[in-house]
Amino acid sequence: MHKQKCIAMLLAGGQGSRLGPLTRNIAKPAVSFSGKYRIIDFSLSNCANSDINTVGVLTQYKPFLLNSYIAQGSAWDLDAPGGGVHILPPYVGENEGSWYKGTADAVSQNIEFVDSYNPAYVLIISGDHIYKMNYNKMLEFHKQKRAEITVSTLTVPWEEASRFGVMTCDDNAKIIRFAEKPAVPESNLASMGVYIFNWPMLKQALLEDSKDPQSDHDFGKNILPRQVKQGKRVFAYNFQGYWKDVGTIESYYQANMECLNMESSFDIFDARHNIYSNEDLLPPHYVGPTARIENSIVCNGCNVLGEVTNSILAQGVFVGEGVCIRDSILLPYAKVYDQTSVLKSIVGERAEIKERCLVGAEPGTGSEQEGITVIEDHHLIPKGSVIEAGQNIYRIR
Amino acid sequence: MYNTIAILFGNSGFDSLQGLTLEGSIASTSFGGRYRLLDFALSSMVNSGIRTVGLVTPRYYRSILDHLGGGKEWFLDRKAGGLAILPGAIHGLTSHKINFRMRDIEMNIDYLHKNYAENVLISRCNQVFNFNYADALEFHNKKKADITLIFKIPEKPTDRHGRIHLFLDEAQRVNEIKKEDSEELKVPYFINQLIIRRKVLSDIIHGYKSLETVDLIQPIAENIQALKVYGYPFSGYLQTIHTVQDYFERNMDLLDHEIREKLFWGSDRIHTKVRDNPPTKYGFEARVRNSLISSGCRIEGNVENSIISRCVLIEPGAQIRNSIIMQRCTIRAGTILEYVVMDKLTEVKAGNVLKGNRDNPLVMKKTAV
Repeated sequence: MHKQKCIAMLLAGGQGSRLGPLTRNIAKPAVSFSGKYRIIDFSLSNCANSDINTVGVLTQYKPFLLNSYIAQGSAWDLDAPGGGVHILPPYVGENEGSWYKGTADAVSQNIEFVDSYNPAYVLIISGDHIYKMNYNKMLEFHKQKRAEITVSTLTVPWEEASRFGVMTCDDNAKIIRFAEKPAVPESNLASMGVYIFNWPMLKQALLEDSKDPQSDHDFGKNILPRQVKQGKRVFAYNFQGYWKDVGTIESYYQANMECLNMESSFDIFDARHNIYSNEDLLPPHYVGPTARIENSIVCNGCNVLGEVTNSILAQGVFVGEGVCIRDSILLPYAKVYDQTSVLKSIVGERAEIKERCLVGAEPGTGSEQEGITVIEDHHLIPKGSVIEAGQNIYRIR
Repeated sequence: MYNTIAILFGNSGFDSLQGLTLEGSIASTSFGGRYRLLDFALSSMVNSGIRTVGLVTPRYYRSILDHLGGGKEWFLDRKAGGLAILPGAIHGLTSHKINFRMRDIEMNIDYLHKNYAENVLISRCNQVFNFNYADALEFHNKKKADITLIFKIPEKPTDRHGRIHLFLDEAQRVNEIKKEDSEELKVPYFINQLIIRRKVLSDIIHGYKSLETVDLIQPIAENIQALKVYGYPFSGYLQTIHTVQDYFERNMDLLDHEIREKLFWGSDRIHTKVRDNPPTKYGFEARVRNSLISSGCRIEGNVENSIISRCVLIEPGAQIRNSIIMQRCTIRAGTILEYVVMDKLTEVKAGNVLKGNRDNPLVMKKTAV
C-alpha cells in the first residue's frame, strides 16, 4: 500500500444509548442530522476538506446502515488512489479476537491496518460530533510544536466543564494536567475528542495500555492522562468555531435547531467548506396550495401540504393537509397524515403518524428531556392517538 | 441487457427556446428544478440495464459535458462500456425535420464496430418520460425483429403536427411509415425511440453513405418490406419539447401530483448530477404555495405555481407567480415576476416587474436584468 503522511481513525462504534429510540436500530454516527445529513458526514467531510483521504472507520454497534451509507467513501470524494475509506469491524486473528473494549482498544486491534500505511501521524476523530474543521491547520500546529500528541480544545462554560476531558496548560500550550470528566474542574479548556498522535509513539502507548488490566482502554480516560503524566510533549490546539457533541436527545435536538439560526451555528450554505453526504436521489420538494412553511429547513422529495414552523424536514417527508408541525425534527421518509399536530418532537425514519393525532401534548408534571418527544423509526402511531410531551416511544415488536 | 448499447442524440436543435439554449443545447437545459432534459432519456436507458451509451454532442457541448462528467451518477463510469462521447457531425446546422442524422453515426462508426452488442437503442434528448425498455427489448428479441419502433397512441386529436405515423398489422409489424399528418385520431405515432440490430444499423449506414445527411427513419421507411420492423407501444407520460410554450407547460405539469408520481416515484428513478447542496431554508417571511422547490435555496419571499431550481435566493417581498427560475438566480426584494422563464445565474434587481403570459412566457436570458 501507499505510504500516507497522515491517516484518520474514525471512532464510530459507540452505541449512543443516550439517544434512546434514535439509536435503537442504527449506530449513532448514522443518525440523520439537519435534514439531509447523517452525523458522520461532518467528520468525513472534514477529512475530505483537509486532504486526508485514508480513513479507517471503527464500527461495531448495528453497523449495517452505517456500512452501506459509507460504502467506498465516494460520496465524500474519499475513494482516492492509495487511500480510501475502510470499514474496520472487530475481527478474529490467529490467536483470538474480541469486541472493541474501548476507543483505544479499537485502534489497538487495528495496529496492522495503520502499519500497512506506515503514516507519520494518526488523526483520531469521532463519528458523533457536529463541526467544520480543517485538520491540516491542527497538523501544522502539531509539527510546529514538535508535539508527540496534540489535543484539539475549545473553551467551554465553567458549569459544563465537568462533562468533558479538561486540561491545564503552561504558557506554551503544553498540557501539564489532563482530567477526564472531573467533578471539580480546574480548567474550562475542554477536549473535543480530536487528537493527532505521532504513530510510533501512539503504537507504543496502545501496546502498553492493552497490557494494563485496570485500564478501560479509553483515549480520554487512560491514554491521554498517562502520556501527560509520563511527561510526553502533549499540546493543546485551540479550535475556533462551532462544535457540538450530539450525545443526548437534548443536545441532538438543540444542535439541529441551531441550524435554523445560522448565527448560533455554522453556515450550512458556506460552500468553502462543504458538507458532503450520500443522499438518496429524489425530486425537488413540493409545497402544496394550502401549505405554509416558516423558518424551516426542507429537503428533496418532501411533500408538504400542511403548516410547518421552526422545524426540519429530512428527505422524503410527507406532511398532510391540516397538519401542524412545530419545533420538530422529522427524519427521512417520516409521514404525518391529515389533521395531526406534532409539537417539539423528533419523529424517526419512516415512522408514520396517522390522522388526528397529537404528538407532544402538554406534559404532565416532571416530564423528561426538556419535554422533547421522540418516536422510534418505523413506528406507526394509530389514528387519534395523544402522546404526552417528553416521552420516548419505542416500537413494539 | 448487456447485449444492448445506446446512442443518445444530444444535438436536437429546434427553435432554441428563444435563446435559452443558444449557448447550450436543449439536452442540457434545466428542467423541473434539479434535472436537465437529457436526464430522462439517459436514466431510462440505464434503468433498463444498458451500461454503454454513446452521446452525440450538440454544437455547444460544454454544459452537457459538465453535467455528465464521467457518467458516475448514471452508473456509466465503467471499465466495460460506459459513457462514450460521439462528436456531432454538422456543427451549426439544425433542422426541424431530422431526428437521427445518419452522418452523426457514420462519423462515429467505430463506436458501432468495436462493440459486440446485438442491439442498439436510439433516442433523443428533448422528451420528458420515464420508460424501462426491458419489455420492449424482450419483444424485439422474441419477434427476431430488425428494428422495433416505439410508438404512442394519441389521447387527444390536437398536436399532431409533424408526427411520423406508423401503420401496424395485428402482429404489430409495421407496414408503412408516413410523415404526413393523419386525419385519423387513433393512428400510433413514432416517439423517436427505436431498437435496431447493430449489424442492420451498420449496413444501413454503409448503404446510404452518399445520402448521409438524411434521417435514419428514411431508409427504414424505404425498406419497410425488406426489413422486419415492429412497433412497441409506450403508454406512460411522455411529452416532447419543441417550443418555449412546451417547455413552460411541461414544467408546470410537474405541479400535478400524479405526473410527479409517474415520473419520479416509481421503481426506476431519474438520475441527475448530484451537487451536494445544503437543504432549502425558509425564512419567517416565506409564503410558498403550489410550487416545486429544489435544494440549496433560501426563500424569504412569495412563490406561487412556480418551479424553483437549485440555490436560488428569494428576498423578502419578492413575488414570483407562474414562473420557472433556474439555478443560482437571485431575486431581490420587491420584484414581481409573472409567467417568466429565468435563465440561470440571473439577478433581478430590487423593484423590477417582469410579466409574460401563459401563451407567451417571458424568457429572460442569462444575466439580462
